[in-house]
Formats: sequence, C-alpha cells, structure tokens
Amino acid sequence: MPTGPYAEIPRVDAYEKVRGRAIYGTDNNPSGVAYGAFVTATIGRGRITAMDLSEAQSIDGVRLIVNHEHTSDLQPARFIMQHGFAFQSYSPVLTPNVAYRGQPVALVVADTLESAIEAASRIRVSYEEHPFAATLDSERAEPVPQAEAATAWPIDDIVVGDAETVYADAAVKVDATYTMPTQHQNPMELIGTVAAWDGDHLTVYEGTQNAGACKFGLAEQLGIPPENVTVISPYTGGGFGQKNTMQSQQVLTAFAARELGRPVKVVVPRRQTFHDSSFRPATRQRVRLAADSAGRFTAALYDVDAQTSMHDFFQSEHADTAARHYGYGAFRSFTRLVRTDTPTPGYMRAPFEHATAFAIESAVDELAYEHGMDPVQIRLLNDTDTDIVDGLPHSSRHVSECLRRGAELFGWDRRTPEPRSMVAQNGDLIGMGVAIGLYAGSGGPNRASVRATRDGIIEISLGVHEMGQGIRTAIANVVARHLNVAPESVTAILGDTRGVPQMLTAGSWGSASSIPAAEAVCEALREALDALGTNAPEGASPAEILALADHDELSVEAATFAPGQNRDALGEIDTGHVAPSGPVYPDFITYSYAAHFVEVRVEQTTRRIRVPRVVSVFDCGRVLSPRTARSQAIGGVVWGVGGALREAGEVDPRYGGVLNADMAEYLVPVNADIGSIEVGFIDEPDPMVNRSGVKGLGEVVLVGVAPAITNAIYHATGVRARHLPVRIEDLV
Amino acid sequence: MQSFSYARPASLDSAIATFAEGGEGTRLLAGGTTLYDLMKLDVERPERIVDINGLAELSTIDTSGDELVFGALARMSDVAADPRLADEFPALSEALWKAASQQLRNMASLGGNLLQQTRCAYFRHGEPFACNKRSPGSGCSAIEGLNRGHALFGGSDACIATYPGDFAVALIAFDAEVDVAGPDGERTIPVSDLHRQPGDNPEAETVLMPGEIIIRIRVPADAVGRGSTYHKIRDRESYAFAVVSAAAAVRLEAGVVADARLALGGVATVPWRAREAEHSLIGTALTAETARAVGEIAFADAVTREHNAFKVELGANVVRDALLIASGRA
Repeated sequence: MPTGPYAEIPRVDAYEKVRGRAIYGTDNNPSGVAYGAFVTATIGRGRITAMDLSEAQSIDGVRLIVNHEHTSDLQPARFIMQHGFAFQSYSPVLTPNVAYRGQPVALVVADTLESAIEAASRIRVSYEEHPFAATLDSERAEPVPQAEAATAWPIDDIVVGDAETVYADAAVKVDATYTMPTQHQNPMELIGTVAAWDGDHLTVYEGTQNAGACKFGLAEQLGIPPENVTVISPYTGGGFGQKNTMQSQQVLTAFAARELGRPVKVVVPRRQTFHDSSFRPATRQRVRLAADSAGRFTAALYDVDAQTSMHDFFQSEHADTAARHYGYGAFRSFTRLVRTDTPTPGYMRAPFEHATAFAIESAVDELAYEHGMDPVQIRLLNDTDTDIVDGLPHSSRHVSECLRRGAELFGWDRRTPEPRSMVAQNGDLIGMGVAIGLYAGSGGPNRASVRATRDGIIEISLGVHEMGQGIRTAIANVVARHLNVAPESVTAILGDTRGVPQMLTAGSWGSASSIPAAEAVCEALREALDALGTNAPEGASPAEILALADHDELSVEAATFAPGQNRDALGEIDTGHVAPSGPVYPDFITYSYAAHFVEVRVEQTTRRIRVPRVVSVFDCGRVLSPRTARSQAIGGVVWGVGGALREAGEVDPRYGGVLNADMAEYLVPVNADIGSIEVGFIDEPDPMVNRSGVKGLGEVVLVGVAPAITNAIYHATGVRARHLPVRIEDLV
Repeated sequence: MQSFSYARPASLDSAIATFAEGGEGTRLLAGGTTLYDLMKLDVERPERIVDINGLAELSTIDTSGDELVFGALARMSDVAADPRLADEFPALSEALWKAASQQLRNMASLGGNLLQQTRCAYFRHGEPFACNKRSPGSGCSAIEGLNRGHALFGGSDACIATYPGDFAVALIAFDAEVDVAGPDGERTIPVSDLHRQPGDNPEAETVLMPGEIIIRIRVPADAVGRGSTYHKIRDRESYAFAVVSAAAAVRLEAGVVADARLALGGVATVPWRAREAEHSLIGTALTAETARAVGEIAFADAVTREHNAFKVELGANVVRDALLIASGRA
C-alpha cells in the first residue's frame, strides 16, 4: 500500500449537492405529513398561568396543539454532559415553566405550515413573571467556581508552580481583560425534525451531528425501546456544534406524530434557533502574563468567567487549552461559570479555544510590544516539547514550523514593528498580525463494517456524520488507497442508525475516530480476501479477487479505539453516548496547531477595517483529503474574520433573548469582506495518536484568527482591541 | 400567517379603486421584499393585497431627457445598471448598488424601496417590545435600549427609528419628486416631503393619502449630478444597512464650489438633507479640511443616545470623504 501524502480528489458528493440531489433531513416529505409551528415565550423567566387556545383551534386545518398539559407521559431530556443525550436538561413545553425568553411553550400542528404559523400567533399565553438575568453582566447572574460545580466529569483549576509569586516579582508583565459576546452558529440548514411512525417504530429524519444520541434520547423521552427508533441523517447542512445533541423539537415532533397517527415535520425558524438552541457563551478573560529579560514566559495567571444556564453547568475548558499555548514557567487558572436565564450554551466551533486564543495571543502580543520583541520570535522562543500540566511529551507539535512557514509565505520580514508605521498609497493604515491556535487532538472508539462485491461495490459503514466538512471524501480517499479501487466506487453509510453505532461527530475527532476504523476494516477485508486463497496478483482489487474466488460478496467488521481506551468504550457508543479520549493520553499529549498571519487595512477617516490577506499554516497530522481540508481551512478563517469583526448576539438585558435574531442583523462576513486566504499544511502524520496519523482540523482552523486580526489592528492603529467584535466605533 | 384576499388589477385606475376601496388592512404588493418580510414577522397582517405588478406602464426607465424618469415598479437592479445614470448621476446608481443584495435588488421596486420600513428590532420583533410605530401608544423600547442603529436626527420622545433606505437619501439631494395617483387624481410630492418625522404619531410614516400609489419618480437632470457619490459606511462590505451614509454632489466653477448637495442616511428618522452644511460650501475651494468642517456642521445638531454617539465623529468623516470623492468627479 502506498504511503505519503494523499492525492487531491474532488469532493465526492459535490455533484449531488449542486444538483439538489443530496436529501437533507427536513427535505423529506412522507405521505400525509403535517406541519408544526411553535408558540414562544415573551417573558424572561416565569411560569405559564393560562393558555387560551380557542382562537387557534378555530383556524382551518389545525389538528393538534401540544402544551404542558398534554406531555406528562414524556420524560424530560437529560444534558449530554450529565451522561444524557440533549444539549440541555431543560425541556420546554414539558413543564409550565419559562426559563428564558423565546423558549417554546406550545407546538401547533396543522395540515399546512401557514395554518400552523397563524394558529401559533393566535394563542394567548398569560404568565407569572419572575426576575431574570439575561447576560454575563446582569446583577442577578450567579457566578459559581467551576471546581465546585456538581458535574459528571468535574474540571479542576490548573496549578503549575507558584504563578502568583513569579508574576508579582517579574520584570516584564501584562495584565489585561478580554471580553467576548455570545455568538450563534447559524448553520445554513435550520434545526428540524421529520418524525414518522410505522406501528410502534419511529423513523426520524434530521440534520444532526449525533444520530446515536437522537435515537437513544428519543427512546428515553418517549418511553420506548431504542431498537424501535431509526434516525437518518446522511447529510447535515452545517452543524458547528449546534446540532451535536438532541434539540427541543425532536421529542415534541415525535409525540405529535404519534398522537395524530401521521408524520409531522417541524423546522425551527431562524429567529427561534437564536432562542432555543446552544450558542457560544459570553466570556470575560483576565490574563496576567510575565516574562524574563530574554522574553521567556515565566508565569501566566488566567481567570475566566464563562456564561452558563441556570439549569446546567456548561463546563469551561478554556484553561486546558490556555495552559498548552506555550511552555510557561508557572501557570494558574481560576474559572467561574456564570449562571444566566438562557438556554444552556454549547460547543460552537472551537467552543473555548477561539476565546482562549483571543485572550492569550492578544496578551502575548501586548507583552511582545512591552518587551520590544518581534511577535513571531517571542512565540518561537516560548514553544515547548513537554506539556507543563502533565509533564508528558507531545505526540507531535509543529507549531514553530507553522510559524516559520507562515512568516515566509506571508512576507513577515517586510513588516516594520512600530504601530502606525506602515501606510498604503491610498492612506490606509496597514497592520500585520500573527497568532497561533491549538485544539485538542481527541479520538474515540468506532465500529466499522465494509461490504465488497464482485461488481465492484465497496460499501462502508462508519460512525461519523457528513456535515459539509468532507468526511465522505476523506473516507473515499482512504478506502481507495487501502483497497486499490477508485474513490467513486466507495459508498459510505454515515449518520444512519441502521448502520454501525453513530457517535457524536464534533470536537475535531471525526476523522481521528472514524478513519482509523476505516483503515482497520479495509485491512480486515484484505485479510479475508487473502484467506480466499486466490493467488491474485499484488494490488488486485476486491472485485477482482472475488471474481477469481467465484464469490459474490464479502463483509467484515472491525472496531478501533483511541490510545488508552479498550472495548468498554464501545459500550458507550453502542448506547448513544459520547466516548472521546484525549488530548491527554497515558503516554503523551496531542494537539493540532495553527499559525495565522493577517494583514488589515484601516481607513484613516472612517476607521473601516478590511482584511485583504490571510496566510494560515496548519499542523493537523496527515491530510486525508487535500481539497476538502483546504476548503475547511478557508471556511475556518472566514469564520474567524466574522468572530473578530462581525458576530455578536445583541441582548437587551431588560428583555432577555436575542435582539438581532436574523441573518440581516446578525452579521457574518459576506464575499466582499474576504480577500486572499492562503492555506498551508505541514502534513506530517502524528506518529502516536492513531494508526492513520491524523489529528483534527475542523476547529483549529478558526483558532487564533481573531487575535491575529486584533494584533494587526493594533499594529495598524496603535489601538488595542480587547473586546470582540471590533467595530468602527472601537477605532473612531 | 392569516389569510388575505388577493387582486391583480390590469389598469392603474382599477388598482387605485381596489386599493382605496380596501381601506385599512389593504397593502400594495410590488417587489414584496419588505411586505413579505414583515408579514412573516407578523408585523404586517394585511387582509387584502393588491398586486400592482401587472401595471407594465409603471416599469419604464427613461434617462434620455432633461428629467430622469423612473416608473415606480422599475427594479432596483435595472435602474442601477442604467449607463447614463452611472455616468451622470453616480450617487443615484451607487445608492442602488450598495443596497441589499443582488437577489433583493432584482425583486425590489423603486416605489417600494422609498417606502421601506425601519429595521428597528423593537419594531420588527413584536412582543414583548414597546413600539409606538407598530402599536401606537405602547411606548418606545429603543430610547433606553440598544440604539446603536437609531436616529440622531428627526427623532421624538415617541420614536427614534431610523429610515433605512439609501435611494431616497440620494434622491433628495437632487430635488427629486414623486408623482402619485389616487382617487382624486395625480399630484406631485418632493421626495424630501414624502416621509414624515415621527413626532407624536410615528405610525404615520408618509404623507400619502388613502388609496394613493406612487407611480413614478422624476429627477431633474442637473449638471450637479456628475460630481456625486453615495458613500455608505456599513458593518460589512455588502448586504448591510448604513451605519452612516452620505449622498454628496458638487459642481465646481473655477475651482470653487458653485452648487453643493448633501443628504444623510442611517442617522435620521427620514431621508435627511443637510442644507446648512451645503450652504457653507458655496464659494469655497473644497479641501480635506473644509470638507471635514462641512461634516461637522452637518452633525452639529445631532441628538445622540447611549450607543450611537460615535456617529457624530464618524459622520463628519463620512461627509468629508463623500465630498472629496464627489469633487474628484466634478
């Protein structure tokens, strides 16, 4: 079998997608389908005292109105981080409570969507209102030290050495606080469910990152055996962590379909996705960073306030990543979870690392200026081979190489260090900034099966979801190499509970957990083919061997695990739970790395910020599919531009909820905002983390873009932005 | 959404009659880009819709004469692409190009664009927000709320919602007029008089009478048009409403400003003409410094709120840049 870098192949599902042949969850219209629409709460917190349904019931075509009076048979959802299946433990509509503005309080089902929406608008709800805390800064918000939070998997603060004392005595130091607002994923495909019963068997069509949790979670909430639930999600139209567990509408849609004896479809409108799904929590991060006279980081103190909900502790992992940015002499973190009356925040792409990198990489830039050192040099100087927290070696850490290669591609040597020292011909201030990013190299157990036929079909089933990242293409590329077949002959069954168990695809572990399984099952197939004893020539395809053996087809199975895991981990994924491992393994630690170089131009009069050029170099281990990897990297950089300059959920604390809850007002970058994005890969397989040498890419691509931009803004203008997004008013 | 009746009259007379007879609760449908949006938000709940897209005579574009004449149903994208407009009235062309997205411009009509409704979130998003424009007498959540996008000019204690459009801002700089037809015949209204400041009854947004339909827009083909620009600063480079915009035009004689036009967008409850600032320019040689001074005059009377005060400084510079771009074309 050939080794070395993978060939670039086209995205295998590109034709299906551009021709509209890729069928997403709520594209399905089973015969007789009815449509649901939610009534949503208009108060910040409280309790429903009455609900007048009379007007709504008189609307033509209304078949069912579900509210808390009808749902007593349904079990509440359980939070994924308490070993459950849902993005939060709170289940709207199952109780008369209102935990946050915008939560569903009733579901109307009708023959048409129009009737359902109209009827929903005619339901009059009376409330008993309670005071609430809508934001991190609200007086009523409740900070809880994370180390004291009762959770299934507690996370302690990190203490390495005596950072307080070292910091106090240091010659050069920075003390700065960085804040970020809430952000919302807004995948193009809205959250939605189609539920259809056949007798006592439920089939659910859904765009999800976690078909397994949907299967087992629905069974639990409906009180039926898991084997009676099928979840089908061959494509997800972007997930970014918003779809990584059960959503509120799933059980209600299935319940309504069972009550009505006909399929029901519920698509959650854009405005409601801002109000009743997970989001990136607001954060406040204080960094105190000290260096010696040579520029070596001697101590870092890192204090994080991260938003969570009243009903769940969405645990912060900011400090885990912060501690691995550099080889600090001493490190101490202190994290508080700040409870607010909102949905439980969640794992929006690079959920902690994006914020962490903004704080740490900004502080490093501030320290570099304090010290009069080049921002690339100070980063190279503070790179490390050993993890300061656990004392373990890194399985691979090529962040210095990312920095060196990026600096060369970018032309960093043309940069003059003084702020405001570079001016374009048209008068715009030019700024050049750099930052690194890192993301945990996790993995997990995966089952795999493959069926090869004499006709040349290779059908592989893996526990992973295609959500636009290109995993089908990566799988086709890997299987094609291992079985010596053409990529287009490979069919992958993904996101489908009729195949192997489907684990959550998130945390940048999709490839690292599924590709080793794909390789293992290909190897098992090779062995089974060899056992047929055909003396086929070296490099013969499965179809050729099966023909020689006069066999129609052959199927084999395999299972793989992350380092340190054993077969027990399979029990978790077989029951719809998550079982990731890493980045701290028994003998080493694994992260993916990025180095981003950004050029900004700031118009002197209007202070408009433009980003004409980004160069990003990544160490994600082996690149499995160069084209989709590059595409994912570009997407991540664009996301970072949005994170730095555009995106913010606007919350009026008097009301709660989100004020700019649509795509016209919640700004993400448009084409005109994006200039050149040059992407490079180290493409060195990680020698330890798994047999495929693959670490994660989908999240690290975003990590560090925002501070590279704000560092560039500082270089251009002399203004240090410590709050995102940076807008015109911050520079006026 | 609630059911509504739908009519598609074949003549203007029939459209006016149907519109007038319908009374309150009747809405005209042109491009639909605002109406459908607000219907989905439940802010608009029309009982009757009069679709005027069958009135071909309202779609004409004629830029060949002494007057630029645009039918009310001319689409934004078609007008923006008109070569004479781009050459001789770049401010008008740019005001269209820089609005919305290509898809919206392909649908949206000029008449409908003039009547585009505010983006104030408290107006758009219904309960629980107080909004005197949506629900007269309920109050205004914006005045003490998130008002970064709200008006610095023309507001009242009842409403500070910003007029969101671009084209009307450029039109008033050139003394454009609209012809409207109603049950009592045709009349002409300067675009600058079309919109009402909110005062005590912000729900009344224009001076149009019941049953009146905008049928065309006319712009004097004045030589001041050539030296013009619509300078729009927004939170992203495309598909966003103005943070501050300025329609500026100058005509120079012997290096001195002989005629000047300035109108502001994104900062006022109606398209806002900055006449005092215009007058200050006449007879001066336009430089970066004088242009900036004009900008300061334009924003001198601004009434700022908690989140929009930065627009005074920004606005002065937007005016400055707009005037310099315009004079570069004069």
